Amino acid sequence: MEKKIHPLVTEANQQLREGKITRRDFLRLSTLLGLTVASAEFLAACGTPEQAATEVPAPAATEAPVVATEAPATGGIVRGGTLTCATRIERVDNPATTSLISAAQPWRHVIEYLTHTDPTGVTHPYLLESWNASDDLLTWTLILRKGIKFNNGQELTADDVMFNFKQWLTESVQSSMFGAMSYLDLSGVEKTDDYTITLKLKTPSIFIPEHLAQYPAGIVPASFGGDITKEPIGTGAFTMEEYVVGERCVLKARKDYWRNGADGKPLPYLDEIIMVQLGDDRSADLSAYQSGQVDTILEPNVAIWEALKDDADTTVVATPTGATRVLRLRADQEPWNKVEVVQALKHCHNREKILALALQGQGTIGNDSHVSQANPEFNDIPPYPFDTAKSKELLTAAGYPDGLTVELAVASDWPESMAYAQALKEDAIAGGFTINLNPMPASQYWEGWTDFNMGITWWSHRTLAPMILAVAYTGNPDGTPAAWNESHWVDQEFSDILTEAVGTLDLEKRKELVGKLQVIQKERGTICLPFFMSVWKIYKKNIHDIEPTPDEYAIFYETWKDA
Amino acid sequence: MARYIVRRLLTMLLTMILVSMLVFAIVEIAPGNVARNILGAYATPEQEASMSRQLGLTRPVSIRYISWLFGSDWQAKGEIGLPMAQIISEQGLVKNAREWWAVAPNGEHLQWTVEEGKLYKLVLLADGNTEKILDESSWKAGEDGDEYFWGVDTANRAAKWVKGSKDIEYRLDYSGWVESTGAPVEYIPLSKGLIRGDAGVSLRYQAPVSEVIGRRILNSFILAALAIVVSIPTAVILGLIAGLNEGKLIDRIISIGGLITAGSPDFATGILLIMVFAIWLKVLPGAAVFTSADALWKNPNLLVLPVLTASLVEIGYVLRITRSSVVEVMNSPYVRTAILKGLTYRQVVTRHVLRNAMMAPITVIMLHVNWFIGGLVVVESVFGYPGLGSFILNAALFKDVYSIEAGAMVLILLAVGTQLIADLIYSLVNPRIRYS
Repeated sequence: MEKKIHPLVTEANQQLREGKITRRDFLRLSTLLGLTVASAEFLAACGTPEQAATEVPAPAATEAPVVATEAPATGGIVRGGTLTCATRIERVDNPATTSLISAAQPWRHVIEYLTHTDPTGVTHPYLLESWNASDDLLTWTLILRKGIKFNNGQELTADDVMFNFKQWLTESVQSSMFGAMSYLDLSGVEKTDDYTITLKLKTPSIFIPEHLAQYPAGIVPASFGGDITKEPIGTGAFTMEEYVVGERCVLKARKDYWRNGADGKPLPYLDEIIMVQLGDDRSADLSAYQSGQVDTILEPNVAIWEALKDDADTTVVATPTGATRVLRLRADQEPWNKVEVVQALKHCHNREKILALALQGQGTIGNDSHVSQANPEFNDIPPYPFDTAKSKELLTAAGYPDGLTVELAVASDWPESMAYAQALKEDAIAGGFTINLNPMPASQYWEGWTDFNMGITWWSHRTLAPMILAVAYTGNPDGTPAAWNESHWVDQEFSDILTEAVGTLDLEKRKELVGKLQVIQKERGTICLPFFMSVWKIYKKNIHDIEPTPDEYAIFYETWKDA
Repeated sequence: MARYIVRRLLTMLLTMILVSMLVFAIVEIAPGNVARNILGAYATPEQEASMSRQLGLTRPVSIRYISWLFGSDWQAKGEIGLPMAQIISEQGLVKNAREWWAVAPNGEHLQWTVEEGKLYKLVLLADGNTEKILDESSWKAGEDGDEYFWGVDTANRAAKWVKGSKDIEYRLDYSGWVESTGAPVEYIPLSKGLIRGDAGVSLRYQAPVSEVIGRRILNSFILAALAIVVSIPTAVILGLIAGLNEGKLIDRIISIGGLITAGSPDFATGILLIMVFAIWLKVLPGAAVFTSADALWKNPNLLVLPVLTASLVEIGYVLRITRSSVVEVMNSPYVRTAILKGLTYRQVVTRHVLRNAMMAPITVIMLHVNWFIGGLVVVESVFGYPGLGSFILNAALFKDVYSIEAGAMVLILLAVGTQLIADLIYSLVNPRIRYS
């Protein structure tokens, strides 16, 4: 079977041979470009792309997503049982407009995604059978898997996918997909046939597969009327039986799900998933877990990790991520419109101390650029040192010789943010800053998260560095900040390099570009970013195969429980 | 007595009306713009103004107050000329989706919509779908020469359209902001009003407040009732024993025990109980994990620790009041007389001491019933128990106005009601108190 291989794959393969990129990066790149994992692994192991195309008779990426968690179960999988989780049950209407991972957790068992990024960072087709990119990365073809049925019996076709693209790419819908997919206009999305969609991009981009796996990208049918609680229809392995905001939801296994388990019968293994919210501050989660009422706690915080890290009855899987708490400063407001003031504040950060206080040291140090070690493009650029004398000097230069008083909005529900805020408040006094804390519930923080003059915002992990940079630090074509640009910082040079990085497949080149972005953001960006967090999956020993995703997605399709 | 009760009920009604005005005014004055809260930071002033109109916030305060209390369907009926009907149906996971329709004389249920300047009526069919019919003949001539039409729109509002109007309505639809010209110039959001059990739609849950709050009231009521049933008799009996044995060892033990339970904050007691019974001994659930709506009935164990935590504080408090009241009564001249008269100890206690000594505890208990229903926020938080206290707290944090108002009204009704009951019990316990 002859199969066309993207020329960039050949190039990447060459780089792999020369040791310029790691095997994992090569796999990521080549699968991104539509090669099957099997072919890519074959390429990585031996030979040239031409050989792979002819010698590996694999049809275009058709494997079910590979899940590697603990030691693979050897026929010990048990079917049945109920998994009970402590989490938050958020109000959800349109999944495309969801802006919280926790809001997507229950629903991702009902609706599914076109692609899936596995724990190693490799993105696979999921509802898609395969995808192909043109040589210039401007035309992408998405080929849908045939025969997948929604839980109302209808088959998933290109019309449904078109409807979802329409939602994502209409600005007024206010989906975060709109900002993420800024390289694509709705007019560039075409249905070729019932199972094929062609995307014509405005600018070259390699992120399409990864963006399609983002949490707001769950596929709803074309008949969707705007409220998923009124029409809980999706292709997922579970059906939503009950959904009580703030209290509970109940998911029951479907009998006719399209993917098979290791035993050859349809997934899922579990009969039922019950998710409960125990109050708004989640203080009861730990006692519920310890008294055996729940099997796992979703998105556990560091206090929960500390209480359970040595528990004999608990599996704790830690994953370093790009998730973080960003101290963002409004670039369009006093006093942060002066770059010296921002730099002064950056010099007031005792980063090791903040990491120790906020996360018991469970994370990595950040240098005020939103690129983490978990991103393949990471460049190790040292942060500004902790130097309060320098801070005072910078403040004087900016015209504040007597120091500055500022108000910091912080969500009291996020202990990491509170610890960070308090540590900074103490250390910054010597640097000339009087920081008054304005703690508030997270719900209130989200209401005004882009408005505060100074605030600490929760950011989740993104697979590739330019993905987050494009969402949070860019402007609209008219120069105004994009919807999620909370710091209102728009920098022409930064935007230009970012656009170039987004269209650069070559990892080495992209890493170089991202390095420039890191330096610009460290020096001029109006954010302080002292640490990146590790995340954990924490569950009872009798639960198996929970995927340890760095993005904190909770995926229980292949999870099973001892009888 | 009957006259007294009637009089009390009337004062209660008056109190409730005054309080409702106060609650409404406080929420009204409180900072924060409801339309902006819903729309978020990126709404334009036009969108905000449109949303305010759609929520009926541009109507006069007095009319809004009356609508909140008594509903607005009758106001809409006056404008439209047809009676309103609320149809409750099940839509997916939403068990009680509420829709308002106008009822035509021939029994048809109608809504209207204006598309591209043309008026259409939507007739509800038996299968739940609607039939769209051009209804251009329904425009009425207004005094200023414009043609207008009052009808029910598709979003539970009465609306006034003006023919040829260029007004733009910004509607937050599933597909986002829908701009439609020829939008209504006036809206009356339809509701039945608090008195008729419709407290509006919660901005946080997007569900009727009455539905959410009803569930929470029931949960809190169960918790409070059990806590009262456990704590009050225990406290009164222990207080009596201690008071009758003033200064003896048993009095000392009970008094100090009461001091300890009353003195320990409920979150500390709760966590201690969880650590002992849930985590160490593993005999009781440590959190209120409701895996189904009827979890409390299927697994009453869930209630043991929350009830115990709430009771312990209460026991200590009530027993100390009972004890001091008993001690005081025991030293009073009439008890000495009764003893000198030759009554048995039992008769003295049951006929003279108990009744007189109960006055103070009854006042405290009745005040606490109210506290129990709404004030168990800490216990609810420790156990993750979905009760009324945490509901009101979070409504206030979210500025969920209709929930705050409904929650406040429920608590006030309880306070006034329990006070009435307390007064009635006084007169039963102590015949010297006669009301007329």
